[in-house]
Amino acid sequence: MNPIAYALALLALLVPAAPRGADRPTLVIGSPAFQPLPIAVAGFGAEGDPRAGLETTEVVRGDLALSGLFDVLDPKGFLADPAEGFAPSSIRFARWSDIGAEGLVRARVRRDGPDQVAELHVYEVRAGRELLSTTVRAPQARALGHRVADAIVKVYTGERGAFSTQIAAIRKAKGIFELVLFDADGRNPRVLLSERSILLAPAWRPDGREILLTSYRAGRPELWAFRLADREFRRVGQVPNAMGGVYSPDGTRIAFAATEGGNSEVWVMKVDGTGARRLTNDPALDLSPSWSPDGRRLAFVSDRAGSPQIYLMNADGSGVRRLTFQGNYNQTPQWSPRGDLLAFTARDERKVFDLFVVAIDSGRIDRITQDQGRTNEDPTWAPNGRLLAFRSDRSGAAQLVVADPKGERQTAVAGGAGDLSAPAWGPFPE
Amino acid sequence: MTASPVQSALSRRERIWPAVLASAAAHLVLVGWAVVRQPSPTIDLEQKPIVARLVRLGEKKPEQWLPRKEAPPPAPAAAPATPAPAPVAAAARAAPSTKGKAPPQPAAPASAAPGTGQSLSSILNKVRREAVAEKRYGDPGGAADGDSDQAAEDPYLAQIHRALRAHYVAPVTIPERERLYLEASVTLWIEPDGRITRWRQEKSSGNPTFDAAVERTLRLTTRVPAPPEPMRDALRRNGISLVFQARQS
Repeated sequence: MNPIAYALALLALLVPAAPRGADRPTLVIGSPAFQPLPIAVAGFGAEGDPRAGLETTEVVRGDLALSGLFDVLDPKGFLADPAEGFAPSSIRFARWSDIGAEGLVRARVRRDGPDQVAELHVYEVRAGRELLSTTVRAPQARALGHRVADAIVKVYTGERGAFSTQIAAIRKAKGIFELVLFDADGRNPRVLLSERSILLAPAWRPDGREILLTSYRAGRPELWAFRLADREFRRVGQVPNAMGGVYSPDGTRIAFAATEGGNSEVWVMKVDGTGARRLTNDPALDLSPSWSPDGRRLAFVSDRAGSPQIYLMNADGSGVRRLTFQGNYNQTPQWSPRGDLLAFTARDERKVFDLFVVAIDSGRIDRITQDQGRTNEDPTWAPNGRLLAFRSDRSGAAQLVVADPKGERQTAVAGGAGDLSAPAWGPFPE
Repeated sequence: MTASPVQSALSRRERIWPAVLASAAAHLVLVGWAVVRQPSPTIDLEQKPIVARLVRLGEKKPEQWLPRKEAPPPAPAAAPATPAPAPVAAAARAAPSTKGKAPPQPAAPASAAPGTGQSLSSILNKVRREAVAEKRYGDPGGAADGDSDQAAEDPYLAQIHRALRAHYVAPVTIPERERLYLEASVTLWIEPDGRITRWRQEKSSGNPTFDAAVERTLRLTTRVPAPPEPMRDALRRNGISLVFQARQS
């Protein structure tokens, strides 16, 4: 064989036609099915009062399930091994893995002076390692449970949990309007204010010390502030027919809607009620303002295009632009604490009110509720932006439902006596 | 005198050595050239990615309508037993306003609650709602088993997309902000009968939890629909580039 031909033949074998990336189609696979992390919460041991351990465990399990982040394994499916301590080396992780747990929570509760204290440990089962070891303290077992749940959310997501917050809502029963405060899990209701006149639209001051309300004490809508520390209830501002007031994120201003001659406009004033100034000036109805988290913009509802739609404007009233173009009855915008989404209520083509979120940047609308009663409305964001609470009639009577922003997990948390409406999720505790 | 066979063989070997050396040198030069010239990334990031969905056969949905979820709503969660509220007496301690006068008692606002007075119109509305709810929108050129109301660029890629999506599960504990930019790139080779023979990770997302979810997806997806004839050879030899994203697409 000719040596040159031999060499070329060898060369052809040694240098294959390597595929080039440009020859391949590129396919994007997005939108994975995000599923909750299976987690086992072993019953918390208690030194002293065993009820504290039981109650704390129950609250933690409930909060973690409500978060939508975790699939809390049924405690009937496992038995805590008394020989297991808190050191990772003493825990038989294979046993927890066998029941499907990917996370494990263990704690011991004890009283320390006036407080309940939990020695909390969180483990990653597959890796057999400890993710968190800390001490959590609270005045009561229920509050302790919420704080433990917040610590677990924090370790998995890096974000602050919202279970130590509260939700205010209006309850109407037998002609009485009540301002009611719930824990974030819908339990532990406390009536703060009871009125025979109409109460509407509670909104928290960012420091959590006051709740702004629309009251009909004077026979027409006015803004009133309820101070939680001493229960003082006082009128704010002098603009007639003012309603739907919301504090700016820095707590220095209040945006609201006021009606004059049948025309509603969006206004802003200082938090002491002075310096009221009209932001919109349009013959159409402009109402329901909601602040962006940075306080620079406002979302509001206007029917200037013929049907109620969501609009955005700068905090000085300039730069108005329409945000929603789908649906013909969009209302109650609520800007998410992260700033990227607005939740709102919309009536769809079947005349059903459902919840939606719209992306501020793209205007893309996603649905949260569907085929779950005839009315799902009044969304309010948890301060970490991970959950929404809203009013729903899915079970007949109005109740509060908590859901993730995609609506994949929805839990009715409060209902029963009276008609609950206008939930307002409070800020993080100071 | 004639040369012995051994001497003859040795002389032939001596003659071939220069050719062998020249061949080896040429190999080295050409292999080196090929390695240098070979483009290092196997994925052309400039190439337009394809977002593929298998469009459902049906009438186009009006654009101004609000979106509907493709999946049915989640199972209703039972409402907890409502605890007894704190005594209203506590509310009575609310300090009266210094400015507010004794309020008149306006009539309660008209209840918006449905069901008060079942009328013919409400029944008709209900029937209309149900009729609209059952309508599934798609595209006149869609597939009977399509699952989207938007058309894909390539029907076969849409089928691959659907096969992978069936196993594409990630833990929800991945922070949402991270989801916006998490991406893992993979090359996948497909046999003419649709079997997935191998895959290779080209670029990690940087998040081990997300990478594990991608790996689990590929491990569980052992087969996709058989490729159409024109694509068979290319998919078997060159494969297909997959970009797994954690965000919605």
